[in-house]
Amino acid sequence: MNAGKNLKEGLIALEEDLVKLNDELQREAQCIPNLTHPDVPIGGEDSSTIRKMVGSVPKFSFPVKDHLQLGKELDLFDFDAAAEVSGSKFYYLKNEAVLLEMALLNWTLSEVMKRGFIPLTTPEIVRSSIVEKCGFQPRAKNTQVYSINDSDQCLIGTAEIPVGGLHMDSILAGSILPLKYVAFSHCFRTEAGAAGTATRGLYRVHQFSKIEMFIFCRPEESDYYHDELIKIEEDMFSSLGLHFKTLDMASEDLGAPAYRKFDVEAWMPGLERFGEISSASNCTDYQSRRLGIRYRPSEALVPGPKKSKGNLAPPQFVHTLNATACAVPRMIICLLENYQQEDGSVLIPEPLRPFMGGLNVITRKS
Amino acid sequence: MDLQGCLNRTTFQSLKLTSTPSSSSSPFLFPSLYKTKTPTIHSPKFPFPRLTKPLPTSSASVVQTSPATTNISSEQGGKPQWKATIDFKWIKDNKETVAANIKNRNSDADLELILNLYDKLFILQKEVERVRGERNVVANKMKGKLEPSERQILIEQGKNLKEGLIALEEDLVKLNDELQREAQCIPNLTHPDVPIGGEDSSTIRKMVGSVPKFSFPVKDHLQLGKELDLFDFDAAAEVSGSKFYYLKNEAVLLEMALLNWTLSEVMKRGFIPLTTPEIVRSSIVEKCGFQPRAKNTQVYSINDSDQCLIGTAEIPVGGLHMDSILAGSILPLKYVAFSHCFRTEAGAAGTATRGLYRVHQFSKIEMFIFCRPEESDYYHDELIKIEEDMFSSLGLHFKTLDMASEDLGAPAYRKFDVEAWMPGLERFGEISSASNCTDYQSRRLGIRYRPSEALVPGPKKSKGNLAPPQFVHTLNATACAVPRMIICLLENYQQEDGSVLIPEPLRPFMGGLNVITRKS
Repeated sequence: MNAGKNLKEGLIALEEDLVKLNDELQREAQCIPNLTHPDVPIGGEDSSTIRKMVGSVPKFSFPVKDHLQLGKELDLFDFDAAAEVSGSKFYYLKNEAVLLEMALLNWTLSEVMKRGFIPLTTPEIVRSSIVEKCGFQPRAKNTQVYSINDSDQCLIGTAEIPVGGLHMDSILAGSILPLKYVAFSHCFRTEAGAAGTATRGLYRVHQFSKIEMFIFCRPEESDYYHDELIKIEEDMFSSLGLHFKTLDMASEDLGAPAYRKFDVEAWMPGLERFGEISSASNCTDYQSRRLGIRYRPSEALVPGPKKSKGNLAPPQFVHTLNATACAVPRMIICLLENYQQEDGSVLIPEPLRPFMGGLNVITRKS
Repeated sequence: MDLQGCLNRTTFQSLKLTSTPSSSSSPFLFPSLYKTKTPTIHSPKFPFPRLTKPLPTSSASVVQTSPATTNISSEQGGKPQWKATIDFKWIKDNKETVAANIKNRNSDADLELILNLYDKLFILQKEVERVRGERNVVANKMKGKLEPSERQILIEQGKNLKEGLIALEEDLVKLNDELQREAQCIPNLTHPDVPIGGEDSSTIRKMVGSVPKFSFPVKDHLQLGKELDLFDFDAAAEVSGSKFYYLKNEAVLLEMALLNWTLSEVMKRGFIPLTTPEIVRSSIVEKCGFQPRAKNTQVYSINDSDQCLIGTAEIPVGGLHMDSILAGSILPLKYVAFSHCFRTEAGAAGTATRGLYRVHQFSKIEMFIFCRPEESDYYHDELIKIEEDMFSSLGLHFKTLDMASEDLGAPAYRKFDVEAWMPGLERFGEISSASNCTDYQSRRLGIRYRPSEALVPGPKKSKGNLAPPQFVHTLNATACAVPRMIICLLENYQQEDGSVLIPEPLRPFMGGLNVITRKS
C-alpha cells in the first residue's frame, strides 16, 4: 500500500509537470511562423519583387491636389468635427463621397459574386480567441486591435477574422470545396505606433468599410486560388483605370500566417507615390490548424445508412486564403486624386457610374 | 442618363445564375445631387430602452455662472464632465409645470433639491460679492499713507478676508457643480398632445393596411432564414456570442437593397447623405441623452479609453455641429446617415429577443434635422410622413403611435413609434422611432444659430446688427433598421412553397431578383 501511495503521489507530480511542459511547448511552438513559398524573395521590404505592372503614371497639365484638398473643396469629408466627436483619424463622408462608397461596395460585391463567391455580412465584435487563432495579437503592446471593456471581445480589423471563424471546429464535406465567400464589414484598427505623413487624411484611419474575399480549399489547390484571387483584384483595379503594381512580398514582410502574400500598390498622385490598396494572402493551414477547420477528402465508397470509418479518408486541414476586394478609403484616395480635372471637379470612372445614379462627375457645390 | 430608365436595369445577378455573367448594370438610383436642394454648409428608430435616471434638460435663456468645461468625473458626486446650458430662472419661475412634467415622465429628478440649491447659490453668490467688496475697501485703504500699526491691522484683515473668500469660492464651485448635476436630470418638457401615462396610454395616430391572411401555416423569420440559407446564428454564437449573426446569400442583397433604396428615397427629399464614426467619446453619448456608464447600459465601451461604440447614428450626427453657431440661412439642416449600430441589450430577455429581433449589431439609416425652434413640430410631422410613405410602399401593415409620457425617455419632447405587423411573432414589432428633442440635445452639445443676418451687409458686422444666437432644435428618426425590416419582409412576403417575394420597390436594387427561393 505504501508503495502504491508513493507511486500515486509521484505520478500526480509527474502529470502536473507534463501539463506544464505541454503548455509551454504549445505556447512556444505557436510562435513558429508559417512555412514560405519557394518563390518568395528572401529579405526585407526592398526585396519584394514586382509580379505585374499595369498602366503608367498619369501626367497632369495643372498642379495636382491631394485627396484632402479635393475633399475640402468639394465638401466630401469632415475630419475636424470627427476629431472633436471621436478623435484623430476618424472622419465623416458627405455628399458624393457617400455615393462613391456605396457605389464601390455595390459594384465590388457584384463583380465578385459574378465569380461564384457567396455574399456575407459578419459580426464586427468577436471573441479575442478567434482573433488570435487567425494570427493576430489582440493583447500585444501596440496592438492593432480594439478591445471591449469588461469582456473578452474585440472589434475586428478585417472580415477575414469572422469569416475564418464561420467554420471553426468543423469538418467540411470535400464536395463543397472550394468554399468562396465575399464579405462586407466595417473594420476597426487602433493604428497604434503609426505616425508621419503617411497617415494624413483617409490613408490611415481607425474605421473603414471593406469587402474581403475568403477561400477555404484543399491544400493542393491553394496556390491556384491565390492566383485566382490576385487576378480578380487586378481585373477590378484595371477596370477602374488605376495605375498599379502587384508585389510578391519578401519573407520578412509576410507576418506569421502567410505562406505567400501579394500586395497591390496603386499610384496616388497627391502622395506622389504608390500606396497599398490591397493584400492577398495564402495562409495554407496556419489558420485552419488554430481554428480547427478540416475537410473529408472523399465520400464513402459504399453509400448507405452505416458509413463505417474504414470507408472514409481521415479529415485533413483545409487551406485558407484571404484577399482585399475593396478597401474603401484607399480607393477613394485613388479615384479622387487620379480623376481630378483642372477645374477642380472629379470624374467618376465608367464602371461606377451606373451605381451612382448616373452621376458622371463630382463638382463644387454652388 | 434618364433616372427612370435606370430603374429597370439590374445589378446584382440572381444567385441562381452565378455561372453566367449578367448584363450590365445599374441600378442604384441615387438621384443626382443637383436635383436636390443642397444648402452650402459649413459647418452640422429604434427604441432605446427607457433610461432609469433621465438626464436633465431645460429651456429658455442662460443663467449659468461658469462656462462649459470638459473634465473627467464619476457619474454622481464628481465634477460634471460637461455642462448643459440650463435656464435655472425659467425652472424656478415655472416650477409647477416642471414638477408636473417630472411626475408625468416618471423621472427621478429632484426638483425640491434643485430649487433649494439654486436659492443657496444665489445667497452664496451675494455673500461672495459682499466679501469681495470688503476686501476692495481694505485694499483701497492700504493705498493711503498709514501708521505701521494701522497698516498691520489692515494686512491682517485683508488676509482673513482673502482666506474667507477662497473658502466661499470653493463652496460656490461645489454648489454649482451639484446644482448642474441635479438639474441635468430634469427631462425635456412634453408636447401638450402627448398622452399622459405608461405604455398602454400611447395613442394610435395612423393605421395602414390590415393583418395579412395566409392560407397555409405561417413561418417565422428564423425558420424561413434556415430553410432559405439566409442567416447563421450558431456560428456567430461561437465566434462572437449570442445575439450576433451572419447574413448570407439573398439576405445580403436584401440588406444592400434596403440601404440603397432608403438612402435614395430620403435623399430625394433633400437630406444630405453622411457616413459617420461608430466610435465616439463617451461625453458625446451623454450629451445626446444616453448613459454610457449606467448599470445595464446599452452602450459598449472601449478598453483603456473614454470612447464608446454608437448605438445609433443620432449621436455622431448630433456631434457633427457641437459647439457651433450655424447661420440661420442654412436651416433646416437635414442629414441622412448610414452607420452600423452596437447595443449591449443588457437586461433584455425573453422571446422578444429571438433571431433578428434583438441583436447587438445592425445597419441603420437615420434621419436627423437641425432646425429653428418654431419649426420643430412641422419637421417632426415631415419625418414621420417620410417613414410612413416608405413603409407603405413596401406594403407593410403598420401603426404609428404617439408615445405616452412615461415612455419618452429624457430627451424627447414628443416621440412617434412605428410598429409593423410581424406574422411570425403574431404581433406588432417596433421598426422605427421619430423624436423631437427640441433644445435638450442642443443645450448639451452647444449648437446654436443666428436668427438673422446683419441688416447692413459689409465687411464689418457689428454685433449690434445681429440678433443673439439661439439654441437649435434637433430631431431624429429611423429611416430603416435593417434587421427589423428583414423580419417584416420575410414573414409578410412568404409564399406557400417556402419562397419569399421581394416587394416591387426593392427589386431594381436586387439586380432584378423577384423572389428568394430554396437553393437546390
